Amino acid sequence: MVLQSEMVADWADGKRLAFIGDGDAISVSVAYLRARNVLNYGPSQITVFDFDERTVEAVKNFADRERIPNLDAQLYNVLDAMNPPVPFDCFYTNPPWGASNNGASVNCFVERGIEATHHLGEGMVVIADDDELPWPKYVLASVQGFAAEQGFYVSRMQRKLHEYHLDDAPDLKSCNLYLTALPGNKARAPSAPFTDPGRLENFYGLSQPPKVRYVRARRRLDYGVAHEDEYELEYLESVS
Amino acid sequence: MNKIIKPGSGVLFMKIGTHANETLADIIARKEAEIRDAGFGMWGYGGNTCHPSSMVQPFAKAFADRGPIYLCMEAMESNHFAEGVAAEYSLDSQEWMKIPDAIEVRGSKYAMIIEDLHEERFKLPLDQTRVLVGPSLGRLGSRYVKGRVDKACLEILEAPELANDAKPRDITIDFVARTRAPYAVFLRGQR
Repeated sequence: MVLQSEMVADWADGKRLAFIGDGDAISVSVAYLRARNVLNYGPSQITVFDFDERTVEAVKNFADRERIPNLDAQLYNVLDAMNPPVPFDCFYTNPPWGASNNGASVNCFVERGIEATHHLGEGMVVIADDDELPWPKYVLASVQGFAAEQGFYVSRMQRKLHEYHLDDAPDLKSCNLYLTALPGNKARAPSAPFTDPGRLENFYGLSQPPKVRYVRARRRLDYGVAHEDEYELEYLESVS
Repeated sequence: MNKIIKPGSGVLFMKIGTHANETLADIIARKEAEIRDAGFGMWGYGGNTCHPSSMVQPFAKAFADRGPIYLCMEAMESNHFAEGVAAEYSLDSQEWMKIPDAIEVRGSKYAMIIEDLHEERFKLPLDQTRVLVGPSLGRLGSRYVKGRVDKACLEILEAPELANDAKPRDITIDFVARTRAPYAVFLRGQR
């Protein structure tokens, strides 16, 4: 995670960086390493777009507590159009694998990232990269083809960089795929919601279309400490 | 080759043993009684390799029209200390229903819906299987079921993959149950 954060900080040094989803908290790690001067480079602005309100609030709370003014988050579902008034310079995304739809779900996240840069920036896509399995090869080909259709080219690829220790894929590796816009690149079409059932049918895996617009955080008075349901107190006999 | 290991069919594989401080023999006897009394049983488990909505249910949807999907279980020595008896079950972790009184699922996040639980011993040739759902899609069963991976949604292939770098790997199955819709569910609460 630290290695990945350092690479992101170096790549996006001095730039406005949009995270299209961030379940791994790389955004927070990048911002914190810079804020604490562990790194003397990093993005000038980081904005996390995520459909999980717990993630959004955690990022905002962390930024507030650690006094990191250039770290922010917005509640956003990738199915919705992406039209930031001020373009980002680059985007980062670690999307669903796309194993069951030849990368169609990866391309949804990439498309939103491209739109976040108004089609003129750069992107870093974390994507499966495994020699033994067929599907990562199809996904890599699909995403590179999609990026080319959008006027982006593959400017760099760091192969088999990450391992996840996932229960259901303990050996799976992923790479950083870097995309860069061609000079003068323009939008192919205005940003619009994703509604095509064919594109969404296997979005999160086989027969798993998106069903949730937002994961809403339940309000708790004891935020940040063990939940009261998890324990009970057994008093000393001397305490009445 | 038996009625379960048929090319093109799907099987659910799971290693089983002591669970929630209860011996395997006691669990089997209790589950047989549940099936007798309630018409079906709930076989509790945990871990993401057989996650109900992202793995087992899509897997079952893909294979249900090819015949019954069997849960094939390999008995093993194990320790498991989780406690608690689930009160409710759900297909999607959104809508919850009460677990029938005749069924008791202990120390588990998920459960397979089973019937016809019985002892049956045969070889499951892992080199003749492959993973059908999830990020390990397409991986050979023998390269998947190892280490912490003790459950799998597998498709039976026409023939085993022959490789020079590994010996054929068969697993001895000790117990079998037929699964039925909704195949796997989420559990919560405390009875």
